Amino acid sequence: MKATDIQIALCGSAGDGTIAAGDILRNAVARAGYRVISFDVYPPEIRGFGKCISRVRITTEQSYALKRQSDVFVSLDDSHAIPHVGEVRPDGAVIFESQPVATVAEGHHISGHIHPGHIPYGIPLRELSEKSTGGGRSRNLVVLGYIAGLLGLAAEHFLSIIEKKFTKQGSEVVSRNQAGFHAGFQAGAATFKLDNVFFTPLGAPHGSEQVVMLSGNAAVAQGCMDAHLDTFFGYPITPATSIMERLAVALPKRGARLLQTEDEISAMAASIGAGFAGARAATATSGPGLALMSEMIGLATMAEVPCVVFVSQRGGPSTGMPTKTEQSDLNAALYGSPGDSQHIVIAPTNVEGCYRCAGKAFEMAERYQTPVIVLLDLYLSNRYETVTLAVSGPPFNLNANKPRPRLEAGEVYKRYALTDDGISPRAIPGDAGCMHVITGLEHNELGRPSDQEEMHAAMSRKRHDKLLGALQHPDFTVSKRFGDPGRVKVGLLSWGSTFGECLEAMFMAQAEGIPCAAMKVVMLAPFPVQPVADFMADCDVVLVPECNYEGQFAHLVQGILAKPVVRLSRVPGSPMPVEAILGEVRRLARGAVTAIAS
Amino acid sequence: MSIMERPVFVDDKLREVRQSGRLEYRSRSLPTWCPGCGYFSIVEGVTYACNEMGIAKEQAVVVSGIGCSSRFPFFVDLFGFHTLHGRVLPVATGVKTANDKLTVIAVGGDGDGFAIGGGHISHAAKRNVDITYLLFDNGIYGLTKGQTSPLSAVGLRTSTSPFDNPEQPLNPLMMVLAYGASWVGQAYAGRPDHLREMITKAIAHRGFSYLHILSPCVTFDKTSKTYVNLGLRVRELPSGHDATDLMAALRQARDQESLAIGLYYQESRPTLNATFEQLVAKAGGGR
Repeated sequence: MKATDIQIALCGSAGDGTIAAGDILRNAVARAGYRVISFDVYPPEIRGFGKCISRVRITTEQSYALKRQSDVFVSLDDSHAIPHVGEVRPDGAVIFESQPVATVAEGHHISGHIHPGHIPYGIPLRELSEKSTGGGRSRNLVVLGYIAGLLGLAAEHFLSIIEKKFTKQGSEVVSRNQAGFHAGFQAGAATFKLDNVFFTPLGAPHGSEQVVMLSGNAAVAQGCMDAHLDTFFGYPITPATSIMERLAVALPKRGARLLQTEDEISAMAASIGAGFAGARAATATSGPGLALMSEMIGLATMAEVPCVVFVSQRGGPSTGMPTKTEQSDLNAALYGSPGDSQHIVIAPTNVEGCYRCAGKAFEMAERYQTPVIVLLDLYLSNRYETVTLAVSGPPFNLNANKPRPRLEAGEVYKRYALTDDGISPRAIPGDAGCMHVITGLEHNELGRPSDQEEMHAAMSRKRHDKLLGALQHPDFTVSKRFGDPGRVKVGLLSWGSTFGECLEAMFMAQAEGIPCAAMKVVMLAPFPVQPVADFMADCDVVLVPECNYEGQFAHLVQGILAKPVVRLSRVPGSPMPVEAILGEVRRLARGAVTAIAS
Repeated sequence: MSIMERPVFVDDKLREVRQSGRLEYRSRSLPTWCPGCGYFSIVEGVTYACNEMGIAKEQAVVVSGIGCSSRFPFFVDLFGFHTLHGRVLPVATGVKTANDKLTVIAVGGDGDGFAIGGGHISHAAKRNVDITYLLFDNGIYGLTKGQTSPLSAVGLRTSTSPFDNPEQPLNPLMMVLAYGASWVGQAYAGRPDHLREMITKAIAHRGFSYLHILSPCVTFDKTSKTYVNLGLRVRELPSGHDATDLMAALRQARDQESLAIGLYYQESRPTLNATFEQLVAKAGGGR
């Protein structure tokens, strides 16, 4: 039997409950045991009539990206949905309102735009909603019920998710929404099905793991909690805010502390202060906030203070596109601070990676006594995936501090003692006999200001060399190769959220017979030079897809390895289309050499 | 009893200082300030206060910004963090948030606090974070060799206002009182005995205590805040001053011609760390 791979898209106007319906759908199918990846698109305004789309891809095994073409498409607002009808595959279903409230001008109803290959299902959504709930506001629930009934999904999971979602608003709201769902479900079950969208029943679940559905930001928050974060300081900014909002609920429950500061400078400053005092400390922001924090991050680099910064990128420069995704803060994350201020930068490629990177970031910050930037982006922060967590508990080291210094009688504590691995034993306030001053000034081993030539050279070397250990950090995937082993025609080298699309494109290219491999680079600083060099040596041509205009990662790779790559740099404000990558792979597979020359 | 009535002999003074035990709090680094700088008496004041209060050296943290004043942490044998220009208060807030037990003293100059760092004072005051902020006011940027500060007097000639400073200085005490600081006082480096008592009280206060310390810059300001000028202008707060009366404190702070030293205002309200614990209780949590 073929595995399930169904993508359902819901499109409506802000206020139609489009995103809410998508949320119920993805949670219900995840509870049924399917794997999910899902991403919502919505306007920056809270009110108004902007376009909302919720896309949910439902599979038997975890997928890595959304498909370009959906199998089922729902219109809750034809004016927004009409331009998207083309994203439904042939023989896919298009579900829409068959009885508009007012006369619709010619060409303004979706039925006039459905392609010949589509299977239309016009249903009286408003009428069903009014009959079952006494109002027209439950159209989104009616349509959910219709999908479930039509495709033969069990109602039980939907009903329990609806109850969970609306229970705060009272039992009346719950039963009204459930009634709307029922009305739709009956209508769907009674419809003669003409499309070829089928769910395949699932096997028994594995007992050794728990599967939960998380957004990227929720996974970050969970990682922070499982790594026993002590203090969080933040300032609201899209799309990072929900990390702070989740921690604001979770941290006090564990006796930990969260403070909303007056700006990002203070958020970073307080995180560094707390890190200096021995607490696990973090903050979260987006590109504009990172710019404000960069001087402070340099201080933490110089003073060797552990702290973690989550940066969820959005469209830039400046205020840019706050609700659109982009990967254009790589340069700022790597080079944003004045001076030679290298610190650790890691970028997860999926939601599960968000969880692992969040927890591991604290280990690294403490082990290597440095700020760690975890680079996310809006697409990763806001997308939902089913994530497999080990039942055995969080896989994080809860105290990665080097053993505290032990002093001989009369010995003077050297905070910045020069050692073989560059890591000096770190004392914190409260450690008797270890009083010292840390500073943003260049300093000697004691931490006293010093601008001697030899000392500056030795300390610069120490600050850089100590980070190299991170490339071998235990239980952390610094980089990883997928696809065909050995020599390949095209190699996809990528980072961050775009890697999911690269994997999907690679699978499709392999299916077409193109020898193809893909490598994700999770640690961007320090850079895993050898694994990437080995990978590139295996490829006739290396393609670097990323969502920024300048090709910032391609630039980094070329700068370090001095080898040419082909750039696929796009700024659509949305995830990189798999087809764009696949098209480039095909083109390169045909004539790789000319591609490099261009 | 004034100096005129009883002469002070150097030997006696040295014996007293050695016996007091406060030299234990001095570091091995000699201060880098100019001879005659008012800041020496602040080091003396802080070591005196720590000694009087019996603060363990490893349980105190001095956080500073950037400037002449901010070199302070290097001259005391406590934990210290010499941070960035203007950022002393948010860093100190982080330190205190991480560890309730620590005594946190924030130090910085008038440019550090009221120019680049001006946005942070109001929030530290409003949160009532349990730290002591010692603001060293010499009315000039000394470490960069004499430029105008937001507390420079009208008419002060500096390298960045060569045709005399035309701007009216800020009134820091009125600002901090209006921000809701729970302890506000002023002292003068030229009166070290009073200064050290004020520092002791400021550290003893639970909550955000702000001590404004007037001090001359002997190198770059020969006309405005000199020992002579400040000595003439400084007065004590009226004997009947009620430190629980905010309006009375504001009236005293408004007079910038004669500068009153002493405790302007004091109130008791929950500190930031206490509110954190309330929050934990509300959330039903605990470690």
